[in-house]
Amino acid sequence: MASPLSNGSHPPDSGGNDHDSGEERSRESSPQEPAADTDGGSAAEPFGTMEETAPDADPENPAPDTQPTASDAPDDGNPVPNPDNDGPATLGELHEPQRLHPLTLLQRFLASLPALLLLMVPVLMNPSGENVFYLFMTVAFGVIALPSILLQYYRFSYRLTPKQIIIQSGVFNRQNRSIPIERVQNVQIEQNVLARVANIAKVKIETAGSTGTEGVLEYVSLDEAQRIRHVIRSFQRQTTNAETATEQDVSADSIDGDESDASTSPEGERRAEEQVLFRMPLQRVFLSGMFRFSLVYIAVVFSVFQFVEPDTLLNYVLASRSQFQSFVDAIYASPFFAAVVTILFAALFGWLTGIAINLNRYYGFHLWLEGDKLRKKHGLFTVTEGTIPLEKVQALILRTNPLMEAFGWFALEAQTVGVNVDEQGHRVVVPFARREQVLDVGRRVREFDLPDSFQRVSPLTIRRSFVRYMVALTVVVAPAVYFWPSDWAAPMDAALPYWAYTLTPLLLLWAYLQYTHHGYTLSDDGLYIRRGVISRYIWVLPTEKQHVFYTTASIFQRRLGLKSFFVDTAGAAGYAYPEVVDVPADTADSSLYRLYDRFHTLYQDRIRAATGSADTRLSSEERPQLPEATRNEWAEG
Amino acid sequence: METASPPLETASADELQSLEPSMQTVWSIKRGAFATITAFAVFFYDLAHLFGTSALPFGVLTAIVAVLGVLYALIWPRLMYRNWGFSIRSEEIYIEHGVLNHIRTVVPLRRIQHLDVSQDLLEREFSLGRLIVHTAGSRSSDVVIPGLNLKEAERIRDRVKQFILEDPLMEDPV
Repeated sequence: MASPLSNGSHPPDSGGNDHDSGEERSRESSPQEPAADTDGGSAAEPFGTMEETAPDADPENPAPDTQPTASDAPDDGNPVPNPDNDGPATLGELHEPQRLHPLTLLQRFLASLPALLLLMVPVLMNPSGENVFYLFMTVAFGVIALPSILLQYYRFSYRLTPKQIIIQSGVFNRQNRSIPIERVQNVQIEQNVLARVANIAKVKIETAGSTGTEGVLEYVSLDEAQRIRHVIRSFQRQTTNAETATEQDVSADSIDGDESDASTSPEGERRAEEQVLFRMPLQRVFLSGMFRFSLVYIAVVFSVFQFVEPDTLLNYVLASRSQFQSFVDAIYASPFFAAVVTILFAALFGWLTGIAINLNRYYGFHLWLEGDKLRKKHGLFTVTEGTIPLEKVQALILRTNPLMEAFGWFALEAQTVGVNVDEQGHRVVVPFARREQVLDVGRRVREFDLPDSFQRVSPLTIRRSFVRYMVALTVVVAPAVYFWPSDWAAPMDAALPYWAYTLTPLLLLWAYLQYTHHGYTLSDDGLYIRRGVISRYIWVLPTEKQHVFYTTASIFQRRLGLKSFFVDTAGAAGYAYPEVVDVPADTADSSLYRLYDRFHTLYQDRIRAATGSADTRLSSEERPQLPEATRNEWAEG
Repeated sequence: METASPPLETASADELQSLEPSMQTVWSIKRGAFATITAFAVFFYDLAHLFGTSALPFGVLTAIVAVLGVLYALIWPRLMYRNWGFSIRSEEIYIEHGVLNHIRTVVPLRRIQHLDVSQDLLEREFSLGRLIVHTAGSRSSDVVIPGLNLKEAERIRDRVKQFILEDPLMEDPV
């Protein structure tokens, strides 16, 4: 199967550059197409035929941006006119409406089967006249659902132009969605097990504007998926090329350099261009799974136990072996022992499940830099590929937990905008690595200098947290005590809920730990915030990406002369955000002023560097005057 | 601070601009309507239990709600108004507000994605408008300044728009 690293299984073409590779793929994929289709036993009808691929076998390939309306160009057999330009990719047949892979039909049919079976259950259990209704429903399902799968398939088409991706869908309501190529942030190719067997893939197109996925092509052949991504990327590169060439010579130079390299030796250059930043060998994936001990998995295991009936299971396993008889007896004898065994079992299962889930997710993880984009690929049964444009990274987050930290392991996440809503704007860059390695990779994403020490917040925060926990505890305990029946458990004449107050020292310890693990550093390049006892975060918030600056002081904080401050960034998650809680009020104010001052200075310097003079917008006299009429109107109002 | 830039150091309370005083009336009317409805509901509840076995004598519950309603509709808007202050500086919008939680917000103008001026029916009667500032930040992606004179709101909007349009860097705000 074609590895995305080498971008296709084809051999390097002499003197070819990007466009040759794209074109060559289409050349070689045509003969392959029928072969791939025989896997699923369906016809090759919707896919590229020889005639369609023939035009783009033309080596002189078009630059799509010099040919602005390829979408409007009539299909004259030569869909892409070719001025002699370094067009890196061909549209090929992609400029005409394409259907999804025929195997999609099979997949959708299979996916609808569970619903059908559910409808059929009563009929199968009791095939008599009573179940006419279900039989009727089953037939209705066959009459409505199956043709609708077919119709949906035939009414769905996609095509690419140099400016946009156009997806048409809908049986009754036609939807015509066009996604501007320049707004595409990420083209993700996903394959689950079935898809990999059939050599097909799902293509997800994500854009900056929307939080979710803008367009999904489910499924196309793997070759096609990679070709779509390749074409979109090269169109984007061309657009940026064109823009930067006029604006900034420096960056244009560097990109041009890439391109000219590409034209000399595509394969070698591609390797050079792709710097592998991080790789996870198998034992590292296992190791990371062992640290990913999550209570969630234990909860899942417990909920499964509910259905499994552990007693019978244990009986079945243990009673069959007489040497364990004493063990079984012990379990029956002591409920406490039974509970401990169950919890240990659940913990073990939870731990093993965690390892398995982690293995499935991060198997073969590797991360590499391609131009100005981070790309990653990982997964065992479902291979996921992802792209993180460096310029869209808003903040970096180092994560760890006490156990991982004790052994020196960390994870790195990037907070980005306009990507998968599943990951809530936080995308894993390095799942599990040594601190130094995490910092190295992090610096490739964005230059930063992690401070050695963090400034602590006010110790009064311990008191505030402690009071808060005690109030929360009382809110739970008080009603419980009130409604506690007098004949229920009341050790030492105190109703059981009162005993919850024995947790008090623990709450105090917790409040103290939160204090010791909370800190911040204002450094020249940004704000660094550390937070969390179990889930430990270190945020790197670059000055350049800061957005809105806040201080807040609640009525309780004001009594103690405290304030919190917070710098908003784009794409931050709602649950754990980088706030600095409970610092002395004047420190909070001066910190915020310093942060804003750095932000302000940074942009003033940039303006000076770009224009050669200070920002002229600052004085209102130099500001262009608004129309006379409007001003008079205001004067009256 | 040590740099020559003017931000925030000048943030003394006397420089802050207040909202239009009529905003208090608007808040009072809106909250008063809500409080009145609630008070009536509670009153009818009281009435329905007039001859029942109630822990409280008739009218006490209604009185409590009425007093709270007066606080909510008449006193609170005054406090809100007194705590509201903003200033549109050359490069940022600075806002202070909040009765229980004092919140100070600094929105750099270059971070603003777009601006809206809106007005509801009641605000129209008082020719008030609210300026809604959208940023790409995630916690509260829009900052609202209520109770501006509509003309003033539009003037601020145009001025900020001008600032953004003239940005020599012309960068994507994200």
